[in-house]
Amino acid sequence: MISVRNITKKFGHLTVLTDVSLEVAPQEVVVIIGPSGSGKSTFLRCLNGLEKVTKGEIFINNVEITHSKTNLSKVRKEVGMVFQRFNLFQHLTALQNITIGPVEVLKLSKKEAEDRAYALLEKVGLKDKAHSYPDQLSGGQQQRVAIARALAMNPIVMLFDEPTSALDPEMVGEVLAVMKDLAKEGMTMLVVTHEMGFAREVGDRVLFMDEGRIVEEGKPSELFGNPKEERTKLFLSKIL
Amino acid sequence: MDSGTLGIIFDAMPMLIEGVKLTVIYSIAAIIPATIVGLIFALLKLSSLGFLRRIGEVYVHVFRGLPLLVVIFYIYFAVPHVLPMHAWFGDSYRFIAAIIALTLNEGAYITEIIRAGILSIDHGQTEAAYSIGMNKFQAMRFIILPQAFKRMIPPLMNQFIQTIKDTSLLSAISVAELTRQGQIYISTSFAALQIWTAVAIMYLIVILSLTAISTKLERRWQIDKR
Repeated sequence: MISVRNITKKFGHLTVLTDVSLEVAPQEVVVIIGPSGSGKSTFLRCLNGLEKVTKGEIFINNVEITHSKTNLSKVRKEVGMVFQRFNLFQHLTALQNITIGPVEVLKLSKKEAEDRAYALLEKVGLKDKAHSYPDQLSGGQQQRVAIARALAMNPIVMLFDEPTSALDPEMVGEVLAVMKDLAKEGMTMLVVTHEMGFAREVGDRVLFMDEGRIVEEGKPSELFGNPKEERTKLFLSKIL
Repeated sequence: MDSGTLGIIFDAMPMLIEGVKLTVIYSIAAIIPATIVGLIFALLKLSSLGFLRRIGEVYVHVFRGLPLLVVIFYIYFAVPHVLPMHAWFGDSYRFIAAIIALTLNEGAYITEIIRAGILSIDHGQTEAAYSIGMNKFQAMRFIILPQAFKRMIPPLMNQFIQTIKDTSLLSAISVAELTRQGQIYISTSFAALQIWTAVAIMYLIVILSLTAISTKLERRWQIDKR
């Protein structure tokens, strides 16, 4: 489903990703952990073209998104993304945030888009907040709307970029619960997170990144229970 | 002022009101294209393509750098030496030249107002728009501009007020707007104090009514939409 082949990403002289490769199977949940500055977020952002890779190829459903001729907007319809800082459209209500993509990009009718949006709001437990603006919602509520917004496009894969890092502790659970449900339904997911409990419980595979490379990967039980690399051990000893 | 003062002002009133009408017409006729020009050049200046950015920069530098009066003279008196404007447009070239000059000048300032408004919107909004498959145009149209526009209202109002005042320079090419009408009346009546007082008050009335409308609009948009 996702095939990343030897990508390198440089910002000027700074190399953020070095020769990273990854294969993700349909319905797989891959969790990416690592210290800040290790390139996890940049890696995720490369997968929907928000960052352009310097070298290497990325294929999503056999479409090479790193090819200069590829229409990125088309690819992004199928790749949902959830941001650390939610990035809900501030001038639109929760409902409008969810319907604007289906209406303007997928060309659904307003009625169809709203039916879909209400169903998604119900799924994330916010049906009563349909007409609230983002600044009237708590962080956890905003992030759940943001997840619904991404799901409204019927993506084949969802990318989560530290979705709970900007939340108050008591709101983390409600967002993780929504993500767990998604994983159970078989959504293919890549999740950058510091929530080790989530990684252990939901992840099919955990990647540990440091200094722009994938240092170690494995099943959560293996990577957390019996890390092989010194760097991984050091990192886990600090956070667990 | 003595009792004759009111008589003079009363006598001049029909002319001055004609002048106010033209001042308002020229202002509106300039503000609308200047806003469109400003939007276009703001988008050029924000383009990812270097040569488009250059075009936008040159435009702003040139027309922000030239005195409006010089632009008015240039288009009304100089351009007809190169292009047969009077043959093409006849008497209406005065109006056309005036609107082109005002549009080019005000458009340069509006370019910077709109550009600043767009840049003030968090880049995360653009990224979120891209992430649901919007292209650049859709992200601008549905996500960035609606939010930026609200922040642009106060500086745009400043610029619109400036435009109204700038139409007084059109008196130099004999557009019969308010200032010109005042000059004409004074040239035969010599009532400078009375007429310039009346002219000043009439400018204030026009500009304060625009301010009132804009305050109302700003308030309404802030309540209904964020």
